[in-house]
Amino acid sequence: MDANIANIQHFSVGDGDGIRTTLFFKGCNLRCPWCHNPETLSAAPVTLAYPHGAQDCGRRIPEAEILAELMEDADFYRESGGGVTFSGGEVLLQAQAAQSLAARLKAAGISLFVDTAGCAPFSAIEALLPYADTWLFDYKTASPQKFREVIGGDLALVEENLQRLLARGAKVRIRIPLIPGFNTHAEDVALICSRLKEFGITEVDLLPFHRLGSGKYEALGLVYAYRDTPPQMPEEKARLRALYETHFTVTMES
Amino acid sequence: MTLHTALREEFTAPRGKFTPAYYRFLGMRDHIRAPLPLLRAYGVEGLFSRSGTHIHKNDLIVGCLRGASYTGPAEVLEHANRFVTSLGKREFWTNDSHFAPDYAYVLTRGLPGLYEDIEKSRAAHADSPDRLQTLEGMSIALQGFGRLIANYAAAAEGLCGLEGYDDHRLVFISQNCRALLRAAPATFAEGLQLVWLCHTAFMLEERGAMALGRMDQYLYPLYAADIAAGRLTDEEAVELLCNTFTKIPTSDVVNICIGGTNADGTTAVNGLSRCILRAVRTCNAPGPNLSARISKETPEDFLLACLESIGTGLGYPALMNDEVNIPALLRMGYEKEDVYNYCMVGCIENFLAGQQPAWSDGRFDVPRFIDYVLNGGISTYNRSVGITRTAAEDISSMKEFMSLLEAELSVGAAEYCASFNAKNGGIRQDALPSPFLSSFCRECVERGLDINNGGTKYPSAHGAVLMGVGTMADSLAAIEKVVFTDRSATLSELRDALAANFEGYDELHRTLLAAPKYGNNDDFVDKYAVWFLDFLAGEFDRFHTPDGGRFYVAMAANVQNIYAGRHIGATPDGRRAGEPLSDAASPTYGRDTRGATSTLLSVSKPDYTKVACGTVINQKFSPSMFEGDKLKKLAALVRTYFARGGQEIQMNATSRETLIDAMEHPEKYPTLVVRVSGFSEYYVRLAREVQLDILSRTQHE
Repeated sequence: MDANIANIQHFSVGDGDGIRTTLFFKGCNLRCPWCHNPETLSAAPVTLAYPHGAQDCGRRIPEAEILAELMEDADFYRESGGGVTFSGGEVLLQAQAAQSLAARLKAAGISLFVDTAGCAPFSAIEALLPYADTWLFDYKTASPQKFREVIGGDLALVEENLQRLLARGAKVRIRIPLIPGFNTHAEDVALICSRLKEFGITEVDLLPFHRLGSGKYEALGLVYAYRDTPPQMPEEKARLRALYETHFTVTMES
Repeated sequence: MTLHTALREEFTAPRGKFTPAYYRFLGMRDHIRAPLPLLRAYGVEGLFSRSGTHIHKNDLIVGCLRGASYTGPAEVLEHANRFVTSLGKREFWTNDSHFAPDYAYVLTRGLPGLYEDIEKSRAAHADSPDRLQTLEGMSIALQGFGRLIANYAAAAEGLCGLEGYDDHRLVFISQNCRALLRAAPATFAEGLQLVWLCHTAFMLEERGAMALGRMDQYLYPLYAADIAAGRLTDEEAVELLCNTFTKIPTSDVVNICIGGTNADGTTAVNGLSRCILRAVRTCNAPGPNLSARISKETPEDFLLACLESIGTGLGYPALMNDEVNIPALLRMGYEKEDVYNYCMVGCIENFLAGQQPAWSDGRFDVPRFIDYVLNGGISTYNRSVGITRTAAEDISSMKEFMSLLEAELSVGAAEYCASFNAKNGGIRQDALPSPFLSSFCRECVERGLDINNGGTKYPSAHGAVLMGVGTMADSLAAIEKVVFTDRSATLSELRDALAANFEGYDELHRTLLAAPKYGNNDDFVDKYAVWFLDFLAGEFDRFHTPDGGRFYVAMAANVQNIYAGRHIGATPDGRRAGEPLSDAASPTYGRDTRGATSTLLSVSKPDYTKVACGTVINQKFSPSMFEGDKLKKLAALVRTYFARGGQEIQMNATSRETLIDAMEHPEKYPTLVVRVSGFSEYYVRLAREVQLDILSRTQHE
């Protein structure tokens, strides 16, 4: 079976254990305005027109070809305790293709992490459940209104999926992007914390805002809403960290 | 201010002109009627015993060139220079520099032991006048060295009580030096003092790139005994090492090798390995060129400590894979026991301390041979000449192209070896002895033979440095893909495009650039890197140096890729005329776009057990790779790469932003040290083109 893939990134060391290869599925059903991978949003192929040349993004790749590329780094996974990460876009939108790949990886003894926003029918999650060692589950806001109006999704579905995932005993790491003005006010944070605690969450990963994707928006002929938003200063990161630390064990990307 | 930073200030203060020839001349003049080899020995004796000493106020370990500065009438110096020069001297290609003495032998025997060994040998060779004379030369040189030590002891004693000097330190220095005159060193400080004075003596002789070798092994017995007896702490050992390393001139490349494997397979990493690593990191200067031998048995904490040191930006140590270097050296025919004790000289070149003559190398610019094949044997770029007589129009397959290229390279390698041998063998070896160097080689003393006259256990080795593996692999893949597979251009069109430096051939240039590139784990192109090494190692394997030693290959560049590139026209990989070749054994920078794992998968495909001399793989990582959890991932990256047959890796950890800022505001970065190639250097002191080359390296994560 083919999968619609935006990119395969070797030597991913930012997310998850060990040295990983990240498979970016193309197409997403949310539209977070801060997204740093805008080329993965549409399911259709896009062209990034950089000043030094154009770069096409998105093609359907046969499963065997994907698998062969993922297996290239198997020695590195073994030595480092790493593996493969499914990300996107939204992997759950290609659950069938993802499931088939996941099964092959499992058979080869490769660790699999699934990075998702969780906004899809639970059946899609269930398809990957037997194969995913860890779920990197985004939690962006506890406000259903913001989730609907800014991101364009249904928070209730996300939360229901999260609870069901937890109930099935899955290993879940909650990841919270720290988006200036969107979820960084003390009230936003308080709401997120109380909600996550209701779900029994004890640890969270905090992902500070960055605008490294800015160039991609330009290359796509789009305007990046966060183009002029500076990355958080150390004091701001420390403030947010402290807020979350009163409730959770916190890991924060540097 | 710490002791070693105060010492650094003293050390880098302006000094007089270094005039060693004057002191050689003084020694020679007193024995002007002696036979030539002995006259030279007296020159060394004069150099050591009559040039002055210099003790810094912050010295713990002494030995400095500053005393060898003559300030008398210029005419006298001119005469001395003229006379000494008239006697001739060895140079790089005649085995003069790049050597690691057998310090284990020196430390075990001590100065009195070395004299004794020479006397014993004299008795054994009583019937051979030549050998007796050689041994007498060694003895004369060694006596000069003994006086150098005595002079330092006396100087320290004379400075006691003077303002600005610390009497405790002076007494320590004097006692250490006096002890060395009486017996073999009995403490770590005495051992280190002896090693540093030997090294100082080699610097007085104007030998460059003299390696300190496996310091953590040969000094270990003294270190361990001191630690066990409570005479020394690790902090004190680091202090003594810092005091020594600070005195390594930044213009020199003094290799120190730590870690490694014992012949029984166990790790050789010990407490002193860690102290040396700490000391090099503390000094944060380009001088001590640190190498770490890594194997499967290397403890994880040691590898992590190495990576942390690299991550400071210093780039030291370079990481060497024992599991490749040991088989590579065994292939050279060296005995197992010696091979397990290998170290490096200069940047990365493998060496058996005290068991072979000083090493040399030369550049073999491989990509120029493509030019000959495409142009019927005469380069259109620089009119240099090959052997091809076939026109590009008549080359009809990749196979045919490769066989013409191999014929070119085969003759090119033979030409290279013939030139080297004419130069290296064109001097009378017995007329240019190295008595001091020879007295540090057990076999030279035993045999009564000079180091360059059959004295060492093994004959010489010369490294042919293969330039441009990335440029070659990319070029051959581009030819195969564009000309012979896709047929989107003919070979003659390609030839014309190269001659025009791609002017007017934009479309073809784009097509060539789009062909597969080395460093992305793609066998289509990687197979040419494998071929490159197999073929060329095989060719150089066929030749011997004048003393019966071996030619072997290296894949290191030391920024020579930039200068080699200036003489080479446009290449089929899309590189324009005059641009740098790919660096060392690395892929062309910026073309390995699939991440560090893919780069290293490609780069570990060639069989480096055929590279007995050594390789350099430069990799650049963002500083964050050396922090926290990611450091362990980096260690895993290195271990996997080594397990797959990688030979070497060295890393830069300075961010792009810092490098750019340092180019614009050099005054802000006087102490920014970066990994260049087989060595590190202050970034602001590098030529602009070298700065740009470092900047262009593919940065992972």
